[in-house]
Amino acid sequence: MESRLSSILLAAALLSGCSWFHRGDKSRAPVPVTAEEAQTDPSIIEPQVTRRVVKTPKIKAKDFEVGAYFGALSIQDFGTNPVYGVRAAYHVTEDFFLESYAARSKAGLSSLENVFPNITVISNSGRYFTYYDLNVGYNILPGEIFLGRGHAFNSALYATAGIGAVKFANQDNFAINFGVGYRVTITDWLAMHLDVRNHVFESNLFGVNKNVDNVEAILSLTTYF
Amino acid sequence: MRPLLALVLLLQTLLVDPALAATQPLVQLVVTAPYVEMHSGPGRGYPVVYVVGRDEMLTVLFSRTDWYKVRAARGEEGWARRADLATTLLPSGEPAPIPPYPDFLTHRWEVGAGYGVYNHENLVTAYADYGITDSIDIEAVVQQAFGTLDNRTIATIGLRHTFVPEWKWISPTAGIGTGYQRISATVPPAPLESSNQMAYASLGARGFITRRFMWRADWRHYVVFNNQNVNEVLEEWKVGLAVFF
Repeated sequence: MESRLSSILLAAALLSGCSWFHRGDKSRAPVPVTAEEAQTDPSIIEPQVTRRVVKTPKIKAKDFEVGAYFGALSIQDFGTNPVYGVRAAYHVTEDFFLESYAARSKAGLSSLENVFPNITVISNSGRYFTYYDLNVGYNILPGEIFLGRGHAFNSALYATAGIGAVKFANQDNFAINFGVGYRVTITDWLAMHLDVRNHVFESNLFGVNKNVDNVEAILSLTTYF
Repeated sequence: MRPLLALVLLLQTLLVDPALAATQPLVQLVVTAPYVEMHSGPGRGYPVVYVVGRDEMLTVLFSRTDWYKVRAARGEEGWARRADLATTLLPSGEPAPIPPYPDFLTHRWEVGAGYGVYNHENLVTAYADYGITDSIDIEAVVQQAFGTLDNRTIATIGLRHTFVPEWKWISPTAGIGTGYQRISATVPPAPLESSNQMAYASLGARGFITRRFMWRADWRHYVVFNNQNVNEVLEEWKVGLAVFF
């Protein structure tokens, strides 16, 4: 009797257990497939994955350098005067760069005008000394400078030479220029320059044709980009 | 005083590091060679200050000419040679994105400047040139001629054909184009016309110097369209140095 009761209980437990395990199968009830559906149903499973577009970031090139400068320009026969300008360079290789300058200064009085105040060699508007240059530069002595124990800055002594124009006494003149400069790269994007350059052109302001030397010493601050 | 103020304002704008504003992620590279040397400066003479070993990571900050400013995993910074960096790989296994040198035969852009003689006068010239094909270019030129009687500012645009572009060291060119010249007298009397339209035909040559530099030489024959009975005819020759991209 006892074994019969236990077998009934066991059967009941088994049935409830099986129904428990199969509780999720209701949705899987077989759906009759019509003939039309069977034809259109793709046999290949289409993956629902979108292709990931991998974009490699570009390495930024900082070969261009632009900046502004001021300094002193000695205009032959017209004294030394402040000069303000802008410069732009493109570093082509580690040795060579192309550079362009444009600047303006205003000449003072010539010695002739100082001695004879009634004489005017050039008018007031003609006293502006404006120039532009197209140059090639070469880093002669690259190096490093040290500030105390903890700081080192890259530097270079370079030479530049080129051609350009000088407008002085309301006349445009073909000019050549040459000079040396010293560049200190303060940060990756900022540099300081000290340059001494000579602009030579032919002038006949005082009645005879002669080559005039116009030497400038300038301090520049430039940025790389 | 005003120029000084302008300079101060310019410096203030310059003092904001453009790199800080950049949001673009930096390139990370894996060293596959036995090691990559980091120099203290972007030049062959700067001493090696750090060495990154195989399978270590490098972050590339930026490039200047043939040198790349890189940061090692431990934070050390230095300059790696382009050729060394070209052996590294991206973490995905692809080659490092080091752009190739511009190919002289197929380059597209040229920018250059030079010296010449225009109508027996000194000439300063600058030009930009875009190659439509390997042998046909559009060329824009701005130049200034300095004479004893007048100064002329000349701007031209034209087409230039390079006959055998695969001849690397010297290759003949020919071109045609049009432009304007503006005349300002240096001594009285004032010129009859202050500006003229012109047309030109040119013969020349170009050639390769180094990986980035090329030379140019040109002879141009100009016809200046003026209001007189006979058009003015001018000649010009010039030599120049250019960079190609």
